[in-house]
Amino acid sequence: MKELRMILKKEFIHIFRDRITLLLVLAMPVALVLLFGFTISTDIHNARIAVLDHAKDSKSQQFIQKLSSSNYFQIVSYPSTEAEIDFQFKENNIKLAIVIPHNFETHLENEHSATIQVIDDVSDLNVASILNNYVRAVVVDFQNEYNRALISEEPFSITTKMEYNPNMESVYMFVPGIITLIMILVTALMSSITLAREKETGTMRMLFITPVKKIYIIIGKVIPYMIISFLSTIVIIIISVFVFKMPLNGSIFFLLLLCIIFMLTAASFGMLISTISTTQLDAMMITMMGLFLPTVLLSGFLFPLNSMPMIFQILANVFPAKWFILAIKDVMIKGSGFFDVWPYLTILFGMAVVFISISLKMLDRRN
Amino acid sequence: MEALSVHQVNKVYNKTVQALQDITFDIQEGELFGLVGPDGAGKSTLFNILTTLLLPDSGNIRILGLDLINDYKQVRQEIGYLPGTFSLYPDLSVKENLDFFAVMYKSDIEQNMDIIRPIWKQIEPFSKRKAGKLSGGMKQKLALCCALIHRPKILFLDEPTTGVDPVSRKEFWEILQTIRTQGITVLVSTPYMDEATLCDRIALIQNGKILEINTPADIMKQFRGCLYTFRSEDIFSLLNALKECPLKCNYYPYGEYCHIAFYEDMEKAMPTFIQFLDERKQEHGEIKPIQPSIEDCFIEIVKMNRHE
Repeated sequence: MKELRMILKKEFIHIFRDRITLLLVLAMPVALVLLFGFTISTDIHNARIAVLDHAKDSKSQQFIQKLSSSNYFQIVSYPSTEAEIDFQFKENNIKLAIVIPHNFETHLENEHSATIQVIDDVSDLNVASILNNYVRAVVVDFQNEYNRALISEEPFSITTKMEYNPNMESVYMFVPGIITLIMILVTALMSSITLAREKETGTMRMLFITPVKKIYIIIGKVIPYMIISFLSTIVIIIISVFVFKMPLNGSIFFLLLLCIIFMLTAASFGMLISTISTTQLDAMMITMMGLFLPTVLLSGFLFPLNSMPMIFQILANVFPAKWFILAIKDVMIKGSGFFDVWPYLTILFGMAVVFISISLKMLDRRN
Repeated sequence: MEALSVHQVNKVYNKTVQALQDITFDIQEGELFGLVGPDGAGKSTLFNILTTLLLPDSGNIRILGLDLINDYKQVRQEIGYLPGTFSLYPDLSVKENLDFFAVMYKSDIEQNMDIIRPIWKQIEPFSKRKAGKLSGGMKQKLALCCALIHRPKILFLDEPTTGVDPVSRKEFWEILQTIRTQGITVLVSTPYMDEATLCDRIALIQNGKILEINTPADIMKQFRGCLYTFRSEDIFSLLNALKECPLKCNYYPYGEYCHIAFYEDMEKAMPTFIQFLDERKQEHGEIKPIQPSIEDCFIEIVKMNRHE
């Protein structure tokens, strides 16, 4: 045990003497969570739009009123011709334009039907489709009111209850993802790089010919980075709960236990990578391409897994991130406990055991 | 008793590069044994095998009665290793490095201070300095302390003086002499011929093969040719001309001088040689006979092996 304590001490000396890396490792989680939380958000507020009102009657005024009272849109201009709309799109002044036809009210009264035209700027697909949905929502709202005024009883309506995320906040989606990324970056990347550094400087060979147990070398490498990333995770959770009002419905202790198990999995993956790489650059590239990229793309954090080709859905199972994100979302948002997520935990823990055993085998090779 | 016994060891890299070929030698307990050879001769490969870091393809090795391949865990307790490149933690201080390796070897610095004291005294004033900021000679002294801290019975030193200034080199060899007086067997490799003469016995290694094992004195006695030296203004043109020399000889540049070993009856050969040089219009200084150095002997052995 004295050896393990010494290895840990040495590892912490490495960490604290490399100020820039330490700063990066500590500041990155905060920066990432603030960045994702505030700026990279799929919620759009006050999108600039133009309304061309050919009708200029009371119903069209009512509709425009509805548009501007939702805080999705900010009506910045009322052009009088289609050419003007075109010009404003080119100037990048507006994201969307709405054209209300002549005789809007008359059509509604006489035929109980009218058409409005929505012109999207689809040079940005994501923004266009989100804004389009907002317009639809306003139209549905307008229709309902109109119907209610016409017939006292509604024939058919939908009421939606948004379970677990009533305001459809995208931060609910991002926080688990960011926690995952941070833990991969700090535990897997940092521990694999530092182990590869020992190979590069030759100190690994010196360690190998000492009688010290290999498992101590691995544990000694992994624990310091697990501690750092554990602290980072706590900071992320605090920020997301207090700044972004993310719910924490499950038990905090269970959440932290979940994080510890995932860190162990990530760190053991990092160890495996460093046993097959000979330089720090190798270790970094393999971690980035082999672990970080699949984590971003195949974890369901940014892109829904269900809509991916079958082969990628199968491939996603190999990477620990998918299971962790499933589990952490359940725990934080749905308030699930151990009995709901134990299969995910078992998978993560099993992966860690497999990765560490392979690493130990690889380290014991003598060629 | 033999401290180390190497028998018929072979190692091939990537199925094509024969790094070691039928290496066989014994080292006696308490001996200072030198492994001399140019870069790429296979010295470091042999060290990697002897320090249990690499498995040989075939062959037997016994260290202190232990089988190196199967009992490698016990072997590791008994050996100290100073690798060819600086392999300590550059961001740890001198003292921190020593503490670290002492604990890794389950060893106690105070108990073993007697063995490292002569070296430690020299680096102790810098004990708070980071190891990466030490000079080349200091780095090697620290590495030696770390390799000795667990009182190994055999010490392996892979080119410990490469890249070290001449004064520190001399100091380092003095340290090695004191180490062996403490009963530690030392195997040291070096590309420097002058250092080879400081060993009890040396093995000359080239292209993965051991060409000769003997004491430096005996190796020098075995020199077969008659060695001469002379100065030349244009050594390049001289060497070109000597290609057509009719005499049985072996020549090579030695700084501004040319060394040439003749395998002839010199009373007859010398006039022929001078005539040959004059015919080729080669300016030359006085042609003097000299005692062969260990380097001359090494070159002769290499040449002989190539012709056989």
